[in-house]
Formats: sequence, C-alpha cells, structure tokens
Amino acid sequence: MMEKNNNESAASRKLERLWLLAKIEFKLRYYENRLGLFWALLKPVLDMAIYYVAFKIVLKSEVPHFASYLFIGLVIWNFFVESTTGTIQILQTKKYLYQYSNMNKIEIYLSVLFANSIGFFFNLLMFFLFYNLADTRFAGLNGSNLWIVPLFFILFILSLGTSLILSSVYIIAKDVHQLWTVFTSFLFFLSPIFYKLSSFKSALPGFDYVNPLAGIIINARRTMMEGQQPDYHLLLADTAWAIGIAAAGLLLLQKLGAKAAEKL
Amino acid sequence: MEKEFAIRASNISKTFTITEDSHNTVKHRLFNLFNPPRRKILEAVKPMSLTIEKGECLGLIGRNGSGKSTLVRLLAGVYPVDKGEIEINGSTLLLNLGVGMSHELTARENIYVSSSVLGLTIKQTDALFDTIVGFAELQDFVDTKIKFFSSGMVARLGFSIAVHAGAGIMFLDEIFAVGDMKFQEKAVRVFESSWIEGKTVVLVSHSLDIIQKYCRRSAYLKKGELVFLGDTATALEHYMADNH
Repeated sequence: MMEKNNNESAASRKLERLWLLAKIEFKLRYYENRLGLFWALLKPVLDMAIYYVAFKIVLKSEVPHFASYLFIGLVIWNFFVESTTGTIQILQTKKYLYQYSNMNKIEIYLSVLFANSIGFFFNLLMFFLFYNLADTRFAGLNGSNLWIVPLFFILFILSLGTSLILSSVYIIAKDVHQLWTVFTSFLFFLSPIFYKLSSFKSALPGFDYVNPLAGIIINARRTMMEGQQPDYHLLLADTAWAIGIAAAGLLLLQKLGAKAAEKL
Repeated sequence: MEKEFAIRASNISKTFTITEDSHNTVKHRLFNLFNPPRRKILEAVKPMSLTIEKGECLGLIGRNGSGKSTLVRLLAGVYPVDKGEIEINGSTLLLNLGVGMSHELTARENIYVSSSVLGLTIKQTDALFDTIVGFAELQDFVDTKIKFFSSGMVARLGFSIAVHAGAGIMFLDEIFAVGDMKFQEKAVRVFESSWIEGKTVVLVSHSLDIIQKYCRRSAYLKKGELVFLGDTATALEHYMADNH
C-alpha cells in the first residue's frame, strides 16, 4: 500500500516537474520579446498571409478555401519544425538540469514539447476562430473535428522521436543542425502544405505514405475542414512511422545521449 | 537483516578515449575518413564493486587523478558506466560549488527548477523559499536573471539550494575548498549542524581531518583502482603509507 502511495507521489511529482519546466520554457520563448504571447498567435497568421499572397494571388492556386487549407498545414508544420530544429542542441542548452543529478533526460524533451504543445493549441484555437468566423462556407464544427486529438498525439510522438535522434547525433556530429535545416526545407516542399492534394498525389504517387507529415496534414484537413473521417490507411502508416522513429530515438538517447554529460 | 542500500555498484568500470583532434562534425569525419585521429585510452575507473548504505557518510580519498571525480559521477548517475551495473535508490546531487542553474532564468525560477529536479514538490519549495533566499543573502535580487549576478552571488544561491532542497544521496566534491573564507565557514557550519543526518553522503576531500571527523567508512582510490574500502582509520593509513 505504502509503495503504491510512494509510486503515486513520485509520478505526480514528475508531472508537476514537467509542467513547471514547460511553463518556464513557454515563458522564455514568448514573454522575452515585446509582443509576448501575441507573437505566438500572430506567427501562423503572418506565415499564412505570406503564402496566401504567393500562391493564391501571384500563382493563382485553385485550392478552395485556400486560407484555411494553408493555416492548418502550417500549424502542424510549425509544431514539427519547432520541436525538431528547435531542440537539436537541447542536451547542450539544458545541461544544467542533468549534469549534477540523475534526472531522466526524457523529461527535458517532454517539457520542451509540452511548451510547444501550448503554442500549438493556441494556434489551433486561432484556426477554429478563423474557419468559423472568416471562412464559413465549409463543414464547420462537427464530431469529426475530435480526430485532431489522436492526430496531434501521433505528431507529438513523431516530433519527440525525431528530436531524440537529432539531439543524440548532435553529440558526435555538431553540423547535424545545418544538415537538418536543409532537409526540412526540402521536406517543406515535399509536404502538401500549399499544393492542391490531387496534384501532390499525382506528382508524387505514394509519397503521402513515405512522408508521415504529409499523412498527418491530409488527415487533419479531412477531419477539421471537410467533416470527413480520416484516411485510416494513412493514419495507420503515420502511427507506425511515429512508433518506429520514437523507438529509434529512445535507443539513440540510451547509446549516445547518455554520454552527453561527458561529451558536451 | 541486510541494511538498505543507497547505491549498489557491481563490477563497474569507465574508460575515456581521448583523441588529439576531435572529429565532431560530419564534414570533418568525411574528410578524415582515412586519417583517423590518434587515440589515447585512459582507464579512469578500473573494475570495482561497492555498496553505499542508506544514511551513511562515506569518505573518498586518493591523490589527484586517482579517479575520484569520475567515480562520483558514475555513482551519481551523471556518467554512464562502460561495464557493470549501478543501482541508485533515490535522487542524487553532485555538489561542488552549487547546483546546476540556468543563467537565462531568475533566482526565483532557478530555485523552483532545481528543487523540483531534486525531488521537491512546488508546495515544499514554497515553504523553503524564504529560507533559501535568506541564506543566500539575495532578498533584493529574487526576480533578477542570474546572468546579471556576480559569481559569488551565483555560488551562494547554488549552495543554498543544495543545502536546503538537498537530495537523498549527496556527493560533496571538495566543497570545503572553494569560495572565500566566509563561504567556507558557512559550509562547515552547515555540515556541523544536523544537516547530514538521515542523508546518504559521499564526501570527497583532500582534508583528512574532515574525512576522519565525519566518515565511519572510507574508500581509498589509487590510479583508478579501489585499493581499500572499510573503516576510515585503515583507509587513511593506506593513503598515508602510499604518500610517504
């Protein structure tokens, strides 16, 4: 009985610690600049405005509801990039947390991703407001919107795994940062963020299964904008990707990340 | 009945590979594929087993370079072992000058983060907060980022957090040899109070008086090897015999 209570209090202490670290991380990111939290809300709107001008006005894209289409794609993309590119040096910048104690390093990653999740949900809120108030001609609020919860969970695990891999490799290869930046620019153009889905699929057949972000974005649009069920095959493939990458990440953290205190 | 253990290490060892030129980028590795860097192997901790009982104060002695600091980092779970196994029963804190703190955070935030890492709840930290700030003499700088602190202020804050929040298992690596005289006096005073009661402490020091005063058992290390582990008097005899 006592052991059970001990385990419970250890678990609640751990959760409390994650929440505390996430809050501080969030504060550091957004309250350190003049615009504060407003910046977190403004960023996806500005991103969307830029791509809207480029693709709708200049290139005359034919995608219907293009603003909302872009918005949801960018919200997902930004979370992935912030959680991966933004965490490559995490074992260096957060060294103060583990170099004097036996704190489990995975907690450091989780807290940073939780902080990013707060930003994600603010952005999602902006998307809901936008598509219900400004872009009202399509499905609107309905039950299929709830699919965003498992979709976000897959995105979270995928980002966590990628972050674990990159930050562990960083210990032995510092320029992984530059390589990853190039790779993400490439990936950005290989994801259906601003392309019409049918042209993306015909140009790169089967690629929505190869690129898990493509699958997540496609399913988010189906469930959030079109009032449809997700494409279950894609959902399954993305889940498999997320689990595989997270497993590889955990393994690397154990092999390479464990040596961070002595190597960095 | 067997006493409860704080740390149990079986057959642990640690070797460092020191390369003359660190190949730590992909570019460097590619360009030097056929020109590997010259390596030097350093056996910092040779295979050893030891158990630290819960609540005891264990001394760790040995000359410079004998592997004390590496052993302490292995036992604290900061460095992974190459071989063998370590079981750590509780939270650990490695203390030399202070605890790890972020210079981007304020004193208040650092107190909460460090205490949380050491296993305290926010409520417990709330209760200790004024004491920690008072002991560090930083009442007027609670909401200042510590990057604006002098090194003395940072040291005082770190030491204060470590003393008040503490961890179940504390590794004190030469804490009496750092800081100014006033700081050292403060460290000794804390140590003489009932602070270490109930805590597991591993005390690393070149000051044999301090080891003799506080530790019933001690370990003597020589060139990475555990030469003796047992009562402090005998450990000190080994140490003295080797140094004269």
